[in-house]
Amino acid sequence: MRRTMLYLPGNNPNMLTRGYLFGSDGLILDLEDAVAMSEKDTARILVNHFLEQGEFGNCEVTVRINGVDTEYWKDDLAAVVPFKKLNGIRAPKVDTPETVKILDEELSAIEDKNGIPVGRTQIFCLLETAKGIWNAYDIACASSRVAAIIPGGEDLTADLKTSRSKEGTELEWARRMLVFAARAAGVDPLDTVFPRVSDDDGLRQETEFIKQLGFSGKSIIHPNQISIIHEVFNPTEQEIQKALKIVNAAKEAAARGQGAVSVDGRMVDIPVVKRAEYVLQRAGLSEVK
Amino acid sequence: MKTAQAGTLESMDCLVTVTEAQSGAGVKIDITGASAARFRTAMEKKITEVLSAMKVSDIEIQVQDNGALDIVLGARVEAAVKRLGGAA
Repeated sequence: MRRTMLYLPGNNPNMLTRGYLFGSDGLILDLEDAVAMSEKDTARILVNHFLEQGEFGNCEVTVRINGVDTEYWKDDLAAVVPFKKLNGIRAPKVDTPETVKILDEELSAIEDKNGIPVGRTQIFCLLETAKGIWNAYDIACASSRVAAIIPGGEDLTADLKTSRSKEGTELEWARRMLVFAARAAGVDPLDTVFPRVSDDDGLRQETEFIKQLGFSGKSIIHPNQISIIHEVFNPTEQEIQKALKIVNAAKEAAARGQGAVSVDGRMVDIPVVKRAEYVLQRAGLSEVK
Repeated sequence: MKTAQAGTLESMDCLVTVTEAQSGAGVKIDITGASAARFRTAMEKKITEVLSAMKVSDIEIQVQDNGALDIVLGARVEAAVKRLGGAA
């Protein structure tokens, strides 16, 4: 599950040490915007040591590297890719499929050099420009390493020559486009951060909206945001019971050689079963007997 | 003598200052701060490990500690030594 992916500044030992204790589904060790230019080297070394010896619990671990238009990205990759604890890299400012291909090539070279199965390191693409959003589907399909695409917030808004509103009107189309592109390509659509860390109601409202659009989760910048997002994404008890009924009825029907059955007066066919299975998956009950 | 620094005095971090030493001078370690009294031996061991992995045998190291774990201490020493060598 990727309901919540928490950014941890790559040069902050306190957050790197305690980050996994807050209970997010994933962690993003940040070497990009959270790190001052003068500290890129020390942050890279610190993250390297944490990937080698640190503790991340059951969190999916990614590192946000610096963009391929900077002098840092190759050193970033060399410092993090060799470690088993790393699940993937989060690449900023991916505008075209070519950017993914450049990353793919470099990752393959590092994996090969370090005796790691080539293709192990996933890529999470940040689409932070209008061009990136426009190319979303092609980016998502550019490599089998792509695990998710994520719209930018602040950068995208700036590129659109507008400002970020409370309602998120300016990002609405980009979010819809991104969900379609991701689902068509078979990768996860993950939403951008909600910047107002003390506005719990605003966060809940935005999370309900993006969940309804089809997003799998959200990037976060503060541990306090985790529980609200999980509450929104977690199925209710009623939804779980209904999903269990549907999945079990479908299994029984399949055993009898039937395709569709009726549950509580409603026809249950394959799409309904798929939705029910997704509910159980989100509830951590995907292995239903 | 050339010096370099890495780290901060924030909680769970340490500020490491390294100074060039003449060939044959050996390693001189000075630790002050939060964990110095209780963990000096372990901290010295960690610093020595990092230095020997980096093949550095002559250097002065000063650590101002604010509760840094082993991982952090090792990373800050490595960063400071790399900065000293201009290799970072």
